Amino acid sequence: MTKEKRKIVAFLCNWCSYGAADLAGVSRMQYPADIRVIRVPCTGRVSPKFILSAFRQGADGVWVSG
Amino acid sequence: MGNLLEHMGIEKQRLHFSWISSAEATKFVNVAKEVTNAVRALEPNNKFVKTLD
Amino acid sequence: MNKLTQNIRELSSNLLKNNKVDMVIGFKKGTIPMAVSPMAAHNIEQTKEFIWDSNCGINLANFISDKKEKIGIIAKGCDSRNIVTHITENKISRDKLHIIGVPCTGMIDKIKLQSNFNDDITDYSENGEDIIVKSGLIEKNLKKSDYLKSNCKTCMHRNPVIYDELAAELVQEQKIEDQFADVKKIESLSIEDKWNYFDNLLKDCIRCYACKNACPLCYCPSCFVNESNPQWVGKGQDKTDIKTFHFLRAYHCAGRCTDCGACVQACPMNINVRDFTRKLIKDSYEIYGWEAGLDITKRPLLDTFSLKDDDSFIK
Repeated sequence: MTKEKRKIVAFLCNWCSYGAADLAGVSRMQYPADIRVIRVPCTGRVSPKFILSAFRQGADGVWVSG
Repeated sequence: MGNLLEHMGIEKQRLHFSWISSAEATKFVNVAKEVTNAVRALEPNNKFVKTLD
Repeated sequence: MNKLTQNIRELSSNLLKNNKVDMVIGFKKGTIPMAVSPMAAHNIEQTKEFIWDSNCGINLANFISDKKEKIGIIAKGCDSRNIVTHITENKISRDKLHIIGVPCTGMIDKIKLQSNFNDDITDYSENGEDIIVKSGLIEKNLKKSDYLKSNCKTCMHRNPVIYDELAAELVQEQKIEDQFADVKKIESLSIEDKWNYFDNLLKDCIRCYACKNACPLCYCPSCFVNESNPQWVGKGQDKTDIKTFHFLRAYHCAGRCTDCGACVQACPMNINVRDFTRKLIKDSYEIYGWEAGLDITKRPLLDTFSLKDDDSFIK
């Protein structure tokens, strides 16, 4: 694994993955810091516009998680 | 979505979807690592980025 | 005057005479050779202007969204599929429509035809499968089948899928070996080449939105390209903006596009806009076995869920 940092925009559902991310934090689990979380009320809120918008503003990757 | 992006020339490994329950912190960490590794394996993104030129 | 034109005039004047509809939407002759323009006939006198030939490639379903009147509409195969899409998407109700079906044998690619001539085409007429084209210098007899629009060549639904009456006998559907050959060609390129291919494809785009206006699917009262807060896509000629526009527009047509080719025909810069939508048509067909606008009782593709849906892309 390279040490080079990338920007990954993560669209996380408030009720699922955002909770999981929170739990991971509370449990002091380690995960890569390349991820920038955007909390959405539901993954259904994520439209293709959001994903392209992320790329347009220079994201190297996008992760949508419900 | 991924298919059309790839059709246009954006690597498929840049876009990930997953399904994680709020109790699955371990899965979250694993997927986070997986996504990061997949993206790090690629060059930094220069396509679809709006530049002022 | 060909038989079809005659039938269309007759059927539509009957509809208006019996007060079955308030207007009939069809085509009239345009101002230059080979041009047609859509028109709505409100009285019997106007139906005499209706014509039908192989230039009627634009999609008339575009003009029925949210109409309150009772409408008679002349529909070829792709128009009728878009009418079905409109009905399933509640843009118009079935009982407000009287559909005059026109079995279609393909429409003509004017640009390809023009490339045969050094000067402007001055006269055009057709006789069955032959077309007779005159320019200032020469006259040529050509085969219509050689000059079909690219989407008509791979069309699998030449007969209207929904109609109240027909203006002609149904035609034989085409048998096509590989209807997605063009998509596969792009798919076989490397990721870099694909990117360059689309860069090259869109280099002429002037963002006139003719594709969007000609498309019967693009009926949103306010399109995402016009939104300014938040602004999803810039309004200029920036390469990224152009690509974003075409990408998102194609995506909005996923599972709905009937490959009528109106976008390509409307494009003043001859961009093959279909390169985007074709990929989604192929995907909906191969992953979900879906073809848009065939069945009035089925919900749109992206509106349905089945346990059998492919979820391999989700971790």
